[in-house]
Amino acid sequence: MRWLRFAGVLCLAAVMQAGLLAHLNIKPDLLLILLVFFAVYSRTSDAIITSFATGFAADIIGFTMGPQIISFGLFGTALAYLHRVVNIRKVSYQVPAIFMTGFLAGILTHLLTFFKGEPTPPNVYSVLFGTSLFSALVGPFLFLPTAWWMRAKTRRFRRR
Amino acid sequence: MSFTLLMLTGLIFLFAPQTVTNKFQFAFARIFRWPLSISRNLSLFAWTEQPLSKVVDRREYDKLQNHLANIREELLQEQKKVEKLSGLRSRSVWEGAKFALADVITSYVDELQGELIINRGRDDGLAKGQFVLGDNSVIGIIYSVDSRTARVRLFTDPTSNIPVKLPGTDVSRVMQGAGNGSAVIRMVKQKVEVGDDIFAVKKPGFLDTPVIIGKVVQCKRNSESPLLWDVTVRPVSDIEKLNDAAVIIMNPQK
Repeated sequence: MRWLRFAGVLCLAAVMQAGLLAHLNIKPDLLLILLVFFAVYSRTSDAIITSFATGFAADIIGFTMGPQIISFGLFGTALAYLHRVVNIRKVSYQVPAIFMTGFLAGILTHLLTFFKGEPTPPNVYSVLFGTSLFSALVGPFLFLPTAWWMRAKTRRFRRR
Repeated sequence: MSFTLLMLTGLIFLFAPQTVTNKFQFAFARIFRWPLSISRNLSLFAWTEQPLSKVVDRREYDKLQNHLANIREELLQEQKKVEKLSGLRSRSVWEGAKFALADVITSYVDELQGELIINRGRDDGLAKGQFVLGDNSVIGIIYSVDSRTARVRLFTDPTSNIPVKLPGTDVSRVMQGAGNGSAVIRMVKQKVEVGDDIFAVKKPGFLDTPVIIGKVVQCKRNSESPLLWDVTVRPVSDIEKLNDAAVIIMNPQK
């Protein structure tokens, strides 16, 4: 695992999410896409660390700290273990994986935010649905440049 | 083992007080200030129509309109004071106030949140609850302060509740943020005209005179109580394009 490159792509995603995409109502969650990428293309032990680190970055640009560290860490780890059973590297599996991870992690985030005593907006679930769907559609296209940057193998076996 | 340790770290962050965790968010805003500003400006340039030449800049026009509305309201307040307390000394509404000018580092304006991060903090006299002006209108309130940065909750944020004055009355109602650049005053008895100005009410220690906050864009019947009205308000300044803001510091420490 190339940790310096990971830190670079994580910072870039956080800055773009907080700057370039901040004004869109429904936007892809770049950090969610990174979460699923590293859960699928890294070893399980590395995927655990990258999941929590991505959650930390999401909290840094978010409203309050803590909820996304836990939700991203939990669901990223679960996805990494699921990948041992189901090959999520297929595009047809990547789309529902990104969508479900985003939706479930988002629900847990808002529950934890609510328990922390922070106010939550009323239409959060509709925005969450839209964001997860948009991320699921855009995510597989961003996997290739990320794999190139991280020098990750995108094919399990080479064709002879 | 690593999962347990990292989960514990997450729980620590979750239960740590916000005054401690805010330091990380402010540090990020300070360290990445230039890339955030550049990407924000790129985003605004890409999503904004370019203005025609030989016309007044829209922002300048809005600024002057807001200033005019504030002057009219101040005049009305002064007239009421004179009627009530004639013969006694009175002081100008902004006499004890100082304005801290700040640059906007980054902004988050979408359906779920409305927030700015500015480059002034506790060292500049800022504190929680202070009102923030943009183009001579109230845009929000400081809700978190660091030594050198502060976070502004815009009045359009879904978690924002600001008391405002309805046009033509002295009755104050709570205006709640609705996300997506608007706010709502619910269950109002009288109908309000589209285009009317809405003012943030005085708050001792924070705001000595009503200041314009928005304009009415819609007034429709409340779905649960059809005899009452829901008034939708939009800001009178283009908050997404703001590069600077002014924080009102009443009675600053010398």
